Amino acid sequence: MKNKFYILSIIFYLIFIVSAKSLVIGSDEDEILIDANFSGQDLLVFGAFYSDPSQPRDQKGDILIEVVGPKEDLILRKKESHFGFWLNSKKVKFRDVPSFYYLSSTKRLDEKFLKKNNIGLLLTDQLPEVNWSLITSDWGEVTSNKEREEFYIALLRNKTYDNLFRKTFEEIQIIDGNLFKTNIPIPNTVPIGSYKVNVYLILKDVIKNKYSYNFIVKRVGIENMIFNFANNSPLLYGVVSLLIALIIGWISADLFRRLRKA
Amino acid sequence: MSIYLPIAEISINIFLLISMGGVVGFLSGMFGLGGGFLMTPLLIFIGIPTNVAVATSANQIVASSVSGALGHWRQGLVDIKMGLVLLFGGIFGSVVGVWIFKSLSVAGQIDAVISILYFSLLFSIGTLMLIESSQVIRDRVRKKTVKKKIHYHNWAHRLPFKTKFYTSKLYISIIPPVIIGFIIGVLSGTMGIGGSFILIPSMIYFLGMPTSKVIGTSLFQIIFITSIVTILHATTTFALDAVLAVILIISSVIGAQIGVIVANKLRGEDLRALLAIIVLAVAAQIATDLFIAPEDVFNFSNMVNIYK
Repeated sequence: MKNKFYILSIIFYLIFIVSAKSLVIGSDEDEILIDANFSGQDLLVFGAFYSDPSQPRDQKGDILIEVVGPKEDLILRKKESHFGFWLNSKKVKFRDVPSFYYLSSTKRLDEKFLKKNNIGLLLTDQLPEVNWSLITSDWGEVTSNKEREEFYIALLRNKTYDNLFRKTFEEIQIIDGNLFKTNIPIPNTVPIGSYKVNVYLILKDVIKNKYSYNFIVKRVGIENMIFNFANNSPLLYGVVSLLIALIIGWISADLFRRLRKA
Repeated sequence: MSIYLPIAEISINIFLLISMGGVVGFLSGMFGLGGGFLMTPLLIFIGIPTNVAVATSANQIVASSVSGALGHWRQGLVDIKMGLVLLFGGIFGSVVGVWIFKSLSVAGQIDAVISILYFSLLFSIGTLMLIESSQVIRDRVRKKTVKKKIHYHNWAHRLPFKTKFYTSKLYISIIPPVIIGFIIGVLSGTMGIGGSFILIPSMIYFLGMPTSKVIGTSLFQIIFITSIVTILHATTTFALDAVLAVILIISSVIGAQIGVIVANKLRGEDLRALLAIIVLAVAAQIATDLFIAPEDVFNFSNMVNIYK
């Protein structure tokens, strides 16, 4: 209840100042904390936009929201049948792939528009026109363009399957013509790091305004302690883990022997 | 209820983990297996990254084998001398095994080699054990009295460096157990498992050890091998997840204790027949992955962070 009031007052504030600017956004989070109970979270992005008061409501423009996670390197392998065995054979290493990517807009935007404005995942969907030079990869034995394309589609498919890539045209709610609100599902597999949120106001296929901000996904509490311990003093961490295993094993054997005797 | 695993970087239902640990622990206590060859594929199946699954199950095997070994120890069912001889070979073997693992990983063929190794080993051992134990069971059902040999006389008796293993009532050369220990160490380093499902049949069929002593002795040796593997993983792959390990350890030691009780109530050949069926089931699972076309031929490798 208190939270709702808070959000509402921000929204009214946004309407007030939005007459000066054409796009204002707010969000309830600037960090997502991963603790022992973390099982994914919805990131609320909301704001107000105001393009031209003389225009009728339905021509006030569209909103596009993009969330880009920290970059990572990925190795994608392809299984092939050799003498009846399905074995991993060819592999491709993709560099600097966004670990998380989310694109949402109030209307279905064509690829031409996205490509023109440098929005979208590695400028991809128009595959015949994929600009291979934009993708840093070790192609290895994969030499033909057709096969590279296949690997590329598989990269997107696997990431989408893991809920780490998502593209939608239906999730942004428009309230009262000027306000927008959306919940971006952040799955429990997101990597830690800095995420960038880009919000665009589009009017007649032209980006009128852009607003960006960052939020951070980080570990806290005991999860963070364990992670740092494992990475900063691996030998000690290994020894401690080993001792825990030995002690629990020993105690349990003793405990059960007494239980059986009793 | 979910719990977030700090190294695996995902959250998983805690009850799923507890029941998995319990079942694998039960089997490990019953058969004297470390259970790694079951735990690792299960963890991967529920979405834990492969390297975390391998490293963490090694740590879990330490606990369940300590717990199991103590149970057998108190009943005088551990041949320490034999365990140490096996371990001697095992230490050298695991160093070689880790070296092979690294070379194969650099060559990009580790997955294929491991799958084929797993399948051929499990399939042949499972089949051999199933044939042998079902013959014994059939004879028992027919009330046929089989003349029991006190010990086998095979090549293990003709080699030099013979020594007495009092607990096992054996007088054999130390060369076969050292070689077996070495091979298990190699497999352990390459495949990231304790190796007991190969060790146990080898001890029974090649060394002629009594089935009752084999389990405790194998558990005894596995404690040390998996301890080495745990430390190696913590320091080289950084993939050991302590939270996951503790959950699996607690659930598996409870399962292991129940397994030991059940094992004492079963006959040796029945145990071997059961183990053979489990081994064959895992082999069949691996065969499915090897021989049946996967749903998606593309898959991510999580080796990227280790072998940069």
